[in-house]
Amino acid sequence: MSLALKPAVVLERSTPMSGAVELVVHHPPAAAALRPGQFFQLAVAAPQTILRRPYSAAWADPDSGRIGFIFNVVGAGSGWLAVRHEGHELDLLGPLGRGFDLDGSKPAIIVAGGLGVAVFPGVVGALVARGRQVTVLLGARTSAQLLPSGRFPGAEVMTATDDGTAGYQGSVVDLMPVALGRFPPPQGEGRGGGPEIFACGPTPMLQALLEKSRRLGVPLGLIQVSLETPMGCGVGTCLGCAIARPGGGYLLTCLDGPCVRADRIDWSRTADAFHG
Amino acid sequence: MAEQPDLSVHLGRGLCLRSPVMVASGTFGYGFDAPLVDRTALGAIVTKGTTPRAREGNAPTRIAETPSGMLNAIGLQNPGVDHVARIYAPMWAAWDVPVIVNVAGDAVDDYVGVARRLDGVAGVAGLELNISCPNIANGLQFGIDPRPAAQLTTAVRAVTRLPLLVKLTPNVTDIVAVGRAVEDAGADAVSAINTYVGMAIDVRRRRPVLSRGSGGLSGPAIKPLALHAVWQLSAALSIPVVGIGGIMTAADALEFLLAGAAAVQLGTVNYVRPQAAREVRDGIASYLDEHHLGDLGALPIRPARVEAHV
Repeated sequence: MSLALKPAVVLERSTPMSGAVELVVHHPPAAAALRPGQFFQLAVAAPQTILRRPYSAAWADPDSGRIGFIFNVVGAGSGWLAVRHEGHELDLLGPLGRGFDLDGSKPAIIVAGGLGVAVFPGVVGALVARGRQVTVLLGARTSAQLLPSGRFPGAEVMTATDDGTAGYQGSVVDLMPVALGRFPPPQGEGRGGGPEIFACGPTPMLQALLEKSRRLGVPLGLIQVSLETPMGCGVGTCLGCAIARPGGGYLLTCLDGPCVRADRIDWSRTADAFHG
Repeated sequence: MAEQPDLSVHLGRGLCLRSPVMVASGTFGYGFDAPLVDRTALGAIVTKGTTPRAREGNAPTRIAETPSGMLNAIGLQNPGVDHVARIYAPMWAAWDVPVIVNVAGDAVDDYVGVARRLDGVAGVAGLELNISCPNIANGLQFGIDPRPAAQLTTAVRAVTRLPLLVKLTPNVTDIVAVGRAVEDAGADAVSAINTYVGMAIDVRRRRPVLSRGSGGLSGPAIKPLALHAVWQLSAALSIPVVGIGGIMTAADALEFLLAGAAAVQLGTVNYVRPQAAREVRDGIASYLDEHHLGDLGALPIRPARVEAHV
């Protein structure tokens, strides 16, 4: 773990898709330490805010020391971050938590709803670099809110929009049967057979994905999700980011996640309390 | 170069801190999850509230940011006193910083049981009785009335030789009355204050943000309130008062020390700036140096002195 103590410097700010901001920062030790799916706690200086904000890195390049963050403006903290510009310093803590488990050789299906796509450019890059076959299912309200498929070189991209302005009209989860249909079906319980699934998006989307997967015979152990919960410290002390575990008790998003296999979560006790 | 100011503090019954800056219960776990913090920069660590048996804590959502503050309703998630005594305490014994265990429970027997289990355990430097947790059923029952507060303190005092701090709740009409009661019952110091009961409502979903409905408010939003409580308590009590409530900077901590606190605890700021305790300690040292004060004892401005100037 390389917990950054020196601030990062903003190199670029851009608009990767409608309503979103991408900040590229320079911090070589953190870029080198990051595993795809891990997050940083970013300090914000907006009036009346206190806590750091957890953001998964979108990608990192250890050679150039650059890290990218993609987000939209949902409140004061993200609003403050959205107006950072080249040359500004950014106080970041991390990388923190567990990234995705990318080992293995199965084909991979990425399911990204809305801003859930923000964690995947680096994940897809790492999967492709491992020689894995990758299909990216991207969902958004409308075509302008889709991250361009060029951000996923080496992967096949399928899109879904609520308004039908690009790709399939409907939920990204509805693309699952098509994507899965290309591979031999999963064999029984456990992690044998079939592709592996990596998902991030609003909790209702994740729950729809799990329901669809159950019906398609995909074991929950083959699905990894990146969780988003309210978070305090990000390092396991405040116990604020609890998420229900099957059989009772709680995981912590910051230590046990944010990337977790779906069978480690009690989804019936995981309400839609979290914004997506 | 001037001589380094003496930052040491005595909180009674042999509990001596080399710095007046402690970390508050619930904001530092049991001291093991703070990879960026130099523990030797801390005056003391106060642990997460510890109960006789392990507790799972409350269902999410457990925390929410509010203007200049945060609400929490963690619900005393902890591994139970036996785990603390067997696993954590031996590690603390090797640390160069006192560890004070915050003790919580639902009944007098719970507090007495935890205190008895920890008495004489190497690595435990003191106890802080949490009679002020707003986030469990009946968590405030001992803290809002002088008589049960005193009865609890007396019961715990009888089973431990450890230095005993009692952490007071501000959710009362007269905090001084509770402070006096626990002083008379044998407390070595009081910690003031715990969080204020508060809530936030999700307007879009039309329901409370926290699953429990209410939670405890901490952070700069409560600092002036906490400061006033410390001001009142330090004028009325003869035991040390440990000031807590929204301290973010050395200037904040100095306000509490000037108000009469013998020491301070940092809480919410630990989540934001892991190095805050060191920064605050260094800022206090610089202040003493600049004002040619040799130690912390010269800081308190007694209410009497203020009145004399009015």
